[in-house]
Amino acid sequence: MTPPILEMRGICKTFPGVVALDGVDLTLRAGEVHMLLGENGAGKSTLMKILSGAYRADRGEIRMRGQAVDIASPRDALALGIRVIYQELSLVPQLSVAENIFLGSLPARGPGFVDRARLHADAARVLADLDVALDPRTPVSRLGVALRQMVEIARALASTAAAQTAVLVMDEPTSALTSREVAQLFTLVERLASRGVSIVYITHRLDEVFRIGRRITVLRDGRHVTTQPIEDVSVGELVRLMANRELTDHFPKVAAPLGEELLRVEHLTRRGALADVSFAVRAGEVVGIAGLLGAGRTELARAIFGADRLDDGRVIVGGQMVRFASPADAIGHGIGLLPEDRKADGLVSGLTTTRNIALPHARRLARFGLLGGSADHSLAAPIASELRIKATATQPVRLLSGGNQQKVVLGKWLAGGVRIFIFDEPTRGIDVASKVEIYQLMNRLTARGAGVVMISSELPELLGMSDRILVMHRGRLRAEFARADANEERVLTAALGLAG
Amino acid sequence: MMATTAAREDAPQIQAPPQPLARSPRILSARRFGTVIGLAALSVALWILTPHFLTVSNLLNVAEQTSTNAVVAVGMTFVILSAGIDLSVGSIVALSGVVLGTALQAGHSIGLAVAESLAVGAACGVANGALISWGRLPPFIVTLGTMSVARGAALLYTEGRPVSGFDASFRMIATGRIGFVPAPVLATIVIYLVAYVALTRTTFGRYVYAIGGNEEATRLSGVPVRLHKTMVYGVSGLASALAAIILTARLNSAQPIAGMMYELDAIAATVIGGTSLTGGEGTLGGTLVGALIMGVLRNGLNLLGVSSFLQQIVIGAVIVGAVLLDRILKHRD
Repeated sequence: MTPPILEMRGICKTFPGVVALDGVDLTLRAGEVHMLLGENGAGKSTLMKILSGAYRADRGEIRMRGQAVDIASPRDALALGIRVIYQELSLVPQLSVAENIFLGSLPARGPGFVDRARLHADAARVLADLDVALDPRTPVSRLGVALRQMVEIARALASTAAAQTAVLVMDEPTSALTSREVAQLFTLVERLASRGVSIVYITHRLDEVFRIGRRITVLRDGRHVTTQPIEDVSVGELVRLMANRELTDHFPKVAAPLGEELLRVEHLTRRGALADVSFAVRAGEVVGIAGLLGAGRTELARAIFGADRLDDGRVIVGGQMVRFASPADAIGHGIGLLPEDRKADGLVSGLTTTRNIALPHARRLARFGLLGGSADHSLAAPIASELRIKATATQPVRLLSGGNQQKVVLGKWLAGGVRIFIFDEPTRGIDVASKVEIYQLMNRLTARGAGVVMISSELPELLGMSDRILVMHRGRLRAEFARADANEERVLTAALGLAG
Repeated sequence: MMATTAAREDAPQIQAPPQPLARSPRILSARRFGTVIGLAALSVALWILTPHFLTVSNLLNVAEQTSTNAVVAVGMTFVILSAGIDLSVGSIVALSGVVLGTALQAGHSIGLAVAESLAVGAACGVANGALISWGRLPPFIVTLGTMSVARGAALLYTEGRPVSGFDASFRMIATGRIGFVPAPVLATIVIYLVAYVALTRTTFGRYVYAIGGNEEATRLSGVPVRLHKTMVYGVSGLASALAAIILTARLNSAQPIAGMMYELDAIAATVIGGTSLTGGEGTLGGTLVGALIMGVLRNGLNLLGVSSFLQQIVIGAVIVGAVLLDRILKHRD
């Protein structure tokens, strides 16, 4: 048996309030394609960021070819021959293929002049080596996603750092590719492996696991579950390995009596994001929406809320068909959105808690256009206290903890007649105590006759709090489960796009 | 309303005592008063260096000279708070000035002429804002274009010649005094008070801060962002026209080449006053102090007989130094 190229042992990493990795192991042999699997948030990306030097582990050791190494920065990782190809491509579209491949180490001639002849010759050699038919002079802006991916790989391999590429990490490389492009990529991956490059391949597509994987490592909740040869597992077992987990009892779900239909959407379509999505929400109901990253869940929330334009479909609120040209219209019809990215879309980080909570209501609070000194405070103070937001009157919200920030975004919709709440990842990145408070708030909302749409990547949370779970896959509703029929395995199977 | 009913059981925690973050309020106050301290230090230095500085007549003179820039900077503060920029203010001062001057010479009443001038200034600003909001163009480009267009319009309207010689009744705007305070200074104070109320006590002012802080989050909160951004530039145009009225009365002449470089002075006053160029943070009080620092500095350098060439160097250094200091204080925060 070949000795391992890379050993990561007992890797631990904690972020404020979250244990991202708890004693994770990963062993990589020379020339293998190793599939790193797990649900969203299982710790795959964190582990790879530690390997690439973007994060530092709190504990644990990394050995390469048996030698203990210290990876303190991306530079260290490059010097050890570790290359990562990220999901978001990082090419400069205006530059040529050759310039992108050697960006940062352009061959020079004289003082500051690029040696074009050598640049193009070197690039041509690298591309030929990978068997990619591409003119090095082509601007990257003219290439499709697949070819850009090839350039990205060429760049990773051509880097003139001291060490040869030993480990190549690919994070969901096929998410934007057509099936022909995928085949092209796989040929390349196999050729690299046959040359002794070890590849860590992260994917949500189980068919790919069996097509090119040699061994698998499964992570769950920041823990190592198993590492085994691909021959020893079946699809069903794999899903169970990724999902299997006892339902903890920190979901204080209280079912509310269901009332009239509050919101109905029919055939919602937005090109490239949503296809023919229809569902309804009743008063007192929590509708959970499951799906993997990129399944179209956030796009669905934004489309209902009037933040993005729809290509087709209709929205019916309280029995009346409505057309939302802007979020203001949606709010006027009693819909509130808790956006997925609270910093970018939810908060004005320089303003105080009071100002943020009062923002959607300023017009209603004003008398003859003037806001009295205490108007927004008398609106926000009871909400801040109901949500137990820990903040002083003058603190800008950027100084609050993640949990408190999330409560501020929630607080914006607790006044002013909002009856339909769309929660996009309401508990992402916040501590357990705040999570439970948010679940309790959902109970209170449904008890008062509100309807909640909860998008979440955490299956236990969806199973624990939803009355009904809809599963999205590539912009479509793929399955629907009543609370009693839903379990992790069934939801995950649907989310992965497998028949089930 | 439904959600607030269960809320009253607990004591409001938003008023809870400060967390261990207590260091920040002190630094915030250092930031807030940093410019005031700078102005005071500058004044004391000038008082020591030259006996003429601290006389009532000289101080009123400084205030009067500062008034035009201070008024333009009101509009600039709204714009920069909303994370924009307005390069066209100087040209709008010229255009609304010549509109005022020609109207007065054509025999329009003072009230009508002033209204026409204000309308032209506001219209230029609204045009800027509409192109930025609905045309989705960068503020820098739009207002750079308007800077040239409004200047050209002013020159075209007057065929390049100044319009001068107005009734004494109009000149009262500059020469009048209430008590011993010159009318332009009083006008500036009134404009600052009105703008202060608009910025701190109205929904519009609230939205200006929110848009500058995070435009997308503000939009997703249901605020009509484009309308309010348009209004912001309208306010800037209006402020420029107000400055043009004061300037025209003071010079007894409306000149199509007036207001050159006013945009830079207004930006400098705003930024020295602590308003962040990235938007969302700043105060009108800071801008007023910033404008006064610029005015006092110019006046003091003149009194000291510093050459105008050297003055430019000193003023440039003060602008950069003030912002650098602000950055350092903010970084500690």
